[in-house]
Amino acid sequence: MEYAIETNGLSKSYREVRAVDAVSLRVMPGEIYGFLGLNGAGKTTTIRALLGMIRPSEGSVKVLDQDVGPRGRGPWSRIGHLVERPSAYPELTVRENLEIARRLQKITDKESTSRVIERLGIASYAQRKAGTLSTGNLQRLGLARALLHEPELLILDEPANGLDPAGVVEIRELLRELTHGKGVTVFMSSHILTEVDRLATRIGIIHKGKLIEELDAGQLDQISARFLVIKTRNMNAAFNVLKDAGYSISTEPGDSIRLKDARAVDAPDEVAQALVHAGASPTYLAVEQENLEDHFLRLTAEKSE
Amino acid sequence: MINLSSGLWAEALKMLRSKVPYFTALGFTMAPLSGGLFMVILKDPEAAKTLGLISTKAQLLTGTADWPALFGFLGQAVAAGGMILYALITIWVFGREFSDHTVKESLALPTPREAIITAKFIVIALWSLSITLIIFGIGLIVGRLVNIPGWSEELLRNSFIGIMGTAVLTLPLMSFVALLSSAGRGYLPAFGWTILTVFLANLSAILGWGDWFPWAIPGLFSGAVGPRSDVLGYHSYVILTATSIIGFAASYWWWRNADQTR
Repeated sequence: MEYAIETNGLSKSYREVRAVDAVSLRVMPGEIYGFLGLNGAGKTTTIRALLGMIRPSEGSVKVLDQDVGPRGRGPWSRIGHLVERPSAYPELTVRENLEIARRLQKITDKESTSRVIERLGIASYAQRKAGTLSTGNLQRLGLARALLHEPELLILDEPANGLDPAGVVEIRELLRELTHGKGVTVFMSSHILTEVDRLATRIGIIHKGKLIEELDAGQLDQISARFLVIKTRNMNAAFNVLKDAGYSISTEPGDSIRLKDARAVDAPDEVAQALVHAGASPTYLAVEQENLEDHFLRLTAEKSE
Repeated sequence: MINLSSGLWAEALKMLRSKVPYFTALGFTMAPLSGGLFMVILKDPEAAKTLGLISTKAQLLTGTADWPALFGFLGQAVAAGGMILYALITIWVFGREFSDHTVKESLALPTPREAIITAKFIVIALWSLSITLIIFGIGLIVGRLVNIPGWSEELLRNSFIGIMGTAVLTLPLMSFVALLSSAGRGYLPAFGWTILTVFLANLSAILGWGDWFPWAIPGLFSGAVGPRSDVLGYHSYVILTATSIIGFAASYWWWRNADQTR
């Protein structure tokens, strides 16, 4: 199997609205692919298309080497999914909800329900009606349903939604264990960029329906912008001297100056010297690099202009 | 077959755990109990007044207190109420998947979507027929308790065929209710459809075109407006069958092909 997920020119339109526009994704087996985008960027529409829940207007979708075709055809026994907010039959208990999923997944091993309940830490809620669960526990139930049949590919829409900080860490470790230990491929959308940053081996950014960037996690360091951040007690003098020296300046919240020029980033000592001579000695001077969040916000802002 | 049995297990569990089907069943048991009350009143109106069952100013019902009248009343109740009761059950079974946002858990599964909706239709049919049987049974008990005359084996057989036949003819029309609960993504469009069809069924029956209108045919079969051989023809059964096939085909097509965005 070359790719766990492969889309070619995937597009979806709802009347005049182009929700997804010619998205070509390639997710390798064993990867954790973080799918980022603002609200309404097309993340969930893409995920629904991967799961055969909506029919593409154009293009094709292949998961685990099998075409996702009309009539809901696809290798679903090998895929676990969590789409948008988790849902469950409110009058059924957690265990009953999972029992329904077990039977519809055609899993003959009856113990699989108990195992996944233990694994997701919801044993004390197993006999509770799903309608009484907190958002976090409902999310755990949704994840339990996705993992019940020990799938090869997990397609997760905002898996950390509603979880408390400890829960976020727990799920991160669980996903990491699944990929490292069992070779499971994870395709996850998230708005918690720090989570994606920590977990994903590859990142795709979707904006206004278009996949605007794909990068390996290691690549972020290479392509992320670097800048020199300066703080001083005499901001006006600093501003003037740097302007006269020909630096392009942008001010930042918290009374700091940011220089993006390569000559500033490469030679911060020269900047410091100029500031000292002008009577605006720096109280803070550091070369900083944008993180995933900065990179994402810069990229989506650029594409919106 | 495994697909269908998994679907049936899931749908049966959802139905048994839900309160809605029980409430609808409870409401429908009012039919034979009301029938029994009418029999008591018709049997001895003066005693009913003395007991305070009816006001002295009440317009007394015309008719006789006997088994044919009680079975006729039950037939009318199933013909009119069945359409609404079965629709409520169908709306619940299909519409809840959209209201509770659980539909997305039924789509990308090794159990085909067709098996899941077939299971839904089977559970709806079994539940509806069971309730109708219970109502018939309660009617028998009430008739015995009130001790009305006119019992015969033949009457029992004909009434049973009439009442259960009405139910069997009504159920396939629920395919449209299922379709609207799904395509309408909730309860209201299907409920509006049910009211509309009940209204049109009555109107077409009054105008004498009921034998051509699918939603009026089960009511006419019940014998509520006369012997069924007089009011229905072969064309009626053909129309009802063709309409039902369209309803089922449209429901299956929608579940297989429509974009699922809930």
